Amino acid sequence: MPRYGIAIDSTKCVGCHSCRVACQNQNSLESNETFNWIKHRDRGRYPSYYKEFIPLQCNHCENAPCQRVCPTGATYTSKEGVVLVNPKTCVGCKYCMEACPYKMRIIDHRRGIVEKCRLCIELVRDGGTPACVTTCPTQVRIFGDLDDPKSAVSIFIAKTGAQPLRPDLGTIPKIFYKRS
Amino acid sequence: MQDSAWGWLIITYLFLAGAGSGAFIAAVACDLLAPDWSKTLARAGSLVSGPLVVIGTLCLVLDLEAGFWQPWRQIYMVNNLRSMISWGFIILSIFIPIALVYAAALNEITFVGKLAQKYITIIEIIGSIFAVATATYTGVLIAVVNGVPFWNTPLMPVLFLASAISTGLAAAMIVAAIIDVNTIKTLSNFALGHVIFLSVEALVLMLFVFMSLTRSTEAAASAGMLISGMLSPYFWGLVVILGLVVPFILSVFEFLEYGQMPKSLVVGADILVLIGGMSIRALIVFSGTPPQII
Amino acid sequence: MNRSGISRRKFIIGSAVGGASLVASNYLNFDSWANSKSDSNDLKITPTLCDGCGNWCAINVYTRGDRIWKAEGIPIAGNNHGRICAKGHALLHEVYNKDRIKSPLKRTGPNKFQPISWEQVYREIGEKVHEIIGKDGPQSLFLLQYPEGNASLCSRFMNALGSPNVFSHASTCFLPRNIGWWITTGSAKPEHDLEHTRFAVFLGRNIAAGLRLRQLSDLSKAKDRGARFVAIDPRFSELASYTHQWVQIRPGTDLALMLALGNTLIEENLYQRDYIDKYTEGFDELAQKFKDYTPDWAEQKTGVPKAVIRKLAHDLAEYAPQSFVHRGYHGALGTQYKNSFQLVRAVACVNGLLGNFNQRGGMFDPPKVKLGKLDSQKFPKLPEMDGVMVDGSGDVDRYPITPVGLGLTHSIPELAIAGKLKAGFVYHNNPLRTCPNPARVIEGYRKLDLLVSFDYVLSETASLAHYILPESYYLERDDVVHTNHCYDSHQVAIRQAVIKPLYDTKPMVLILIELAKSLGIGDYFNFTLDEYNRAALAPLGVTLERLKREGVIDLGGKWEPGPPHFKTPSGKLEFVSSTLKDLNLPSAPELEDPLVTPDESDIRSFRLIHGKQAHHTHAKTINQEYLKEISVLNDMTRVWIHPDRAKALGIEDGDCMTISNNVGKGRARALLTQGIHRDCIFLPSSYGVYSKKLHTAFGYGISYNDFLPTYFEPVLGHCMSNEIIVRVEKTPA
Ligand SMILES: Nc1nc2c(c(=O)[nH]1)N[C@H]1C(S)=C(S)[C@@H](COP(=O)(O)OP(=O)(O)OC[C@H]3O[C@@H](n4cnc5c(=O)[nH]c(N)nc54)[C@H](O)[C@@H]3O)O[C@H]1N2
Ligand SMILES: Nc1nc2c(c(=O)[nH]1)N[C@H]1C(S)=C(S)[C@@H](COP(=O)(O)OP(=O)(O)OC[C@H]3O[C@@H](n4cnc5c(=O)[nH]c(N)nc54)[C@H](O)[C@@H]3O)O[C@H]1N2
Ligand code: SF4
Ligand code: SF4
Ligand code: SF4
Ligand code: SF4
Ligand code: SF4
Ligand SMILES: [Mo]
Repeated sequence: MPRYGIAIDSTKCVGCHSCRVACQNQNSLESNETFNWIKHRDRGRYPSYYKEFIPLQCNHCENAPCQRVCPTGATYTSKEGVVLVNPKTCVGCKYCMEACPYKMRIIDHRRGIVEKCRLCIELVRDGGTPACVTTCPTQVRIFGDLDDPKSAVSIFIAKTGAQPLRPDLGTIPKIFYKRS
Repeated sequence: MQDSAWGWLIITYLFLAGAGSGAFIAAVACDLLAPDWSKTLARAGSLVSGPLVVIGTLCLVLDLEAGFWQPWRQIYMVNNLRSMISWGFIILSIFIPIALVYAAALNEITFVGKLAQKYITIIEIIGSIFAVATATYTGVLIAVVNGVPFWNTPLMPVLFLASAISTGLAAAMIVAAIIDVNTIKTLSNFALGHVIFLSVEALVLMLFVFMSLTRSTEAAASAGMLISGMLSPYFWGLVVILGLVVPFILSVFEFLEYGQMPKSLVVGADILVLIGGMSIRALIVFSGTPPQII
Repeated sequence: MNRSGISRRKFIIGSAVGGASLVASNYLNFDSWANSKSDSNDLKITPTLCDGCGNWCAINVYTRGDRIWKAEGIPIAGNNHGRICAKGHALLHEVYNKDRIKSPLKRTGPNKFQPISWEQVYREIGEKVHEIIGKDGPQSLFLLQYPEGNASLCSRFMNALGSPNVFSHASTCFLPRNIGWWITTGSAKPEHDLEHTRFAVFLGRNIAAGLRLRQLSDLSKAKDRGARFVAIDPRFSELASYTHQWVQIRPGTDLALMLALGNTLIEENLYQRDYIDKYTEGFDELAQKFKDYTPDWAEQKTGVPKAVIRKLAHDLAEYAPQSFVHRGYHGALGTQYKNSFQLVRAVACVNGLLGNFNQRGGMFDPPKVKLGKLDSQKFPKLPEMDGVMVDGSGDVDRYPITPVGLGLTHSIPELAIAGKLKAGFVYHNNPLRTCPNPARVIEGYRKLDLLVSFDYVLSETASLAHYILPESYYLERDDVVHTNHCYDSHQVAIRQAVIKPLYDTKPMVLILIELAKSLGIGDYFNFTLDEYNRAALAPLGVTLERLKREGVIDLGGKWEPGPPHFKTPSGKLEFVSSTLKDLNLPSAPELEDPLVTPDESDIRSFRLIHGKQAHHTHAKTINQEYLKEISVLNDMTRVWIHPDRAKALGIEDGDCMTISNNVGKGRARALLTQGIHRDCIFLPSSYGVYSKKLHTAFGYGISYNDFLPTYFEPVLGHCMSNEIIVRVEKTPA
């Protein structure tokens, strides 16, 4: 079984938000619902001032606090290592939202459940690539099997030393960032 | 990125579940320790306990996104025994009937009450265990949340338990006063309870807030919000002064001036304790700051 | 999120009684979502072209039943290489926008419209046009369009009526860029071999927001290969966060910088001598002209340290010919400054010195596909049109090198006020919002005896029209065959309907064909769209059916490096232009200052500059709720101002500022950032919709046009959209 993950080269992100809307369409979300966010940070002072864009989405933590606290077991980890929510059993208690240190979950009011990035699992199982990955004009995200050392994502991580966000939180994320 | 998922309904739930279980403990204490002159208080405590917890639980259910759409989905709520909500559901499902039966027993309501009276001691012992569990669990519920470092401390359940007992006592005292105005005089005996539990609560709160300043950046940020930040007027005003200091002083006088306090002040102190209890939960929820991730 | 939460709760209460069936249906619907694959049998994929901006990205649109779901980019398409931007995705929802026009409308009063039938609207327009032609002649008619797609047919329509007055957005967008390159290299829009470049400079061009998806995609590949990039911009643009270096420049002074780069390349012998000997004209004169434009001198003008200027020249030279300065679009090299034309010339000359034309990693004239024409036996040819336009385009005494058919769109209101234009057709363009000085534009357009708009919503312009003939949205219509999305090879593509029109609307081509009949020019439109398209495809050996199936077809003929060919009078790259010399214009680039500069003695005086945001096109997409949400979430209508300048005015981050000059006045909140030059404030150009019929967008943000006087740059006549001085103050509480 593959163990899917994404490497994000934030030095290539231009904050165009294509990935956001691609994801919204792929997952039939409303305009104010999203599974990914583009945040930016101002760094330094002129002349060394710069602005960093950082795409964020669920990290598909191997040690996922959201899953641990979920009373119904609606949050589960698929065989590919993707953290998913079962819409049939989720009661919308939002405990997982509080528990996620990355705050990567949202409420789906229409279905009365909590949702999050699904790593486009339906697309991926059909041999496709997540919508946010394909649409990105600068190829910020690299998707693939973290267990396969020859996958583009593994090679990228090995080459650049990309790191997850806040590894000290112990959640063992599967989204890796190259920040500079 | 959604900052806080929980709002007033959950806060109310945390508060009512605490106050309800606290009232149970107060009732049992009265019934066991001071049976004669505190009968009304024991009855009042038992009467409010169950309903408060039920209303609190209703708030929790209302907050469920699926709460009214597909209520049957709630049967899944005990699927994961690693989740405090699952435990909460189990504890509440046991405690609520006990509390209701206890109220029936002490107040001799219907044949259930009569029947239950026979087993009153067993009910009181098991009930107290579950009352403590309920009060503590509301604290554990939020203490295990990784997403908010401020909450992530073993002091949280202690704080919640202390607060549950004082608010429970206050709720019981108010209801007792409603049932029988004359009991207000005898209530002064219990002012000592307030003095003790308010002191404990204040101590734990102080430890909790000030230790947070050094626990982690995020916890410090949260504590900062309470001590000197955006939420500080509410923290100092509603929690510390109105919720702790004033009722503490009133209770001291009430205890010393046995029976001499104006009735309004006696009940007033109790109302203040309730306001403080609700406020402290609201402020803890609202000041929760997630880890800085980028 | 809250909004829907509240409404959901209300809904619960409302339906609590008889809610069982509702709950059941809701359950059904979430179930079907959960097993979304189960309904994949009515999934359909239709290739088409996005109409979100002028990039014509080729996309595969997925429909479930008759409902549009999502889109994916077509990987072989030259201009987008399989990518789609935020707008491209979000505009799929736009078909369902409640603000759409649902049938032809006749305006009966201010913001009052009455639906009428197509027959009646054709008849009434026909009568009115005849009357106007009878009284004022066909020269009093004009057509304004975003000149792509159905443009050829729109021009045919106008010319058939006897009017040469076909306008585009050229004078508010790109005019100097096209003319400058055309004069210098014979190619108005040279492309870049970005993928193989080793060093590229983007001057006033922000491909990361004024999007060009193909270029971004190439940029990423080049970055992986170790190429380096520099963004030169008064502000830290989105592209600057991608490039390796940001050079902050005083707005309007890029010409000085380019002249100094040229100077350095020449003085330090860093240019490609062989190339210049063989393929260029006028090097010696250029060298002479550039003598005094030293980096020291330019530092004074631009604020860019001379060491930085020298280093830029050295880097460009080191990697030449695999290096270039980007050819530009709207920013700085477009219609922004009085000196923009000289600047484009200077940029083209610097590239000439690098010898990069038609070289690997340099620039090239993009391959052009020759489409076929209608058979003149069966379909009558139009009589030749007399050259000069009413605005002076192509007139030797007015704007001699401004081509006929582009037109100065912002001159239309002036010409209407002067009584020279009486009636107009506006297609896919919104001059009331996208032209300078809206008050004046409104006044001008009001003067027209007849204004016909072909829009899909009641834009500012449509709201003023006498008749609105709603075009089907791009997802509902077939258009003419296209080649606009080509990049480095011969490709042909088509836009076609993905779903049936939701309302009583028609594709533009059909509207033109039908309208032509009632205007008495039906003979020139005696064909169907399919016939027209088949004729266009005939020489390519591609059938219409295959094109509709595949969406984009690559015909090969990929650009390859080799000796350059310049379509200039001399056949060479013209450092010194004989055309300009003949017209008594500076024949080699020379310094020209911007028209206006902020008053240094007044702390409230700033230049107002503007720019695109990646998730909006001009000011036409803010009415789309997915796109507006991005702006709201990130608070993106704010105006950028330097913290030191703001401080002096008592303005803090987020404060409301009042911006004013003698053209207009407006309010915006401040974004304090180190990423902006002290001399200017930056206003994102995506906002300021004032049509009340665009309900999502109305009143959100302001536009630079509200402060831009009606200017006509002397040589080309463009609008000089960054020659704005404003006064900035903190809005009193
Ligand atoms: N405020 C502002 N003004 C600008 C700019 C800016 O960014 N902001 N940019 C400048 C530049 S670079 C340019 S190129 C010009 C562009 O100037 P315009 O071409 O006027 O710009 P758009 O805003 O794209 O106008 C498009 C019009 O077409 C309509 N439309 C959209 N889709 C369809 C369709 O399918 N069919 C039909 N018939 N109509 C449709 C829209 O409703 C809108 O009214 O503006 C210039 N002026
Ligand atoms: N998302 C999106 N993409 C688009 C469009 C759109 O509306 N939205 N429109 C399309 C069209 S029609 C066009 S014309 C292009 C426009 O594409 P661009 O020309 O790249 O766009 P602008 O944002 O107008 O200007 C680019 C940069 O010029 C900078 N600038 C302003 N003044 C100066 C100056 O004096 N010197 C220098 N060096 N820089 C300066 C601005 O800060 C801005 O960052 O984009 C095309 N693509
Ligand atoms: S699509 Fe790519 S460049 Fe655009 S915001 Fe997303 S990650 Fe960044
Ligand atoms: S990022 Fe949050 S939602 Fe995603 S797996 Fe980790 S804890 Fe769960
Ligand atoms: S909201 Fe749903 S997924 Fe989250 S913890 Fe509750 S039941 Fe689990
Ligand atoms: S992987 Fe799929 S679900 Fe997750 S953010 Fe990307 S597009 Fe959305
Ligand atoms: S750049 Fe975006 S809006 Fe423009 S055509 Fe391409 S996908 Fe559409
Ligand atoms: Mo443009």
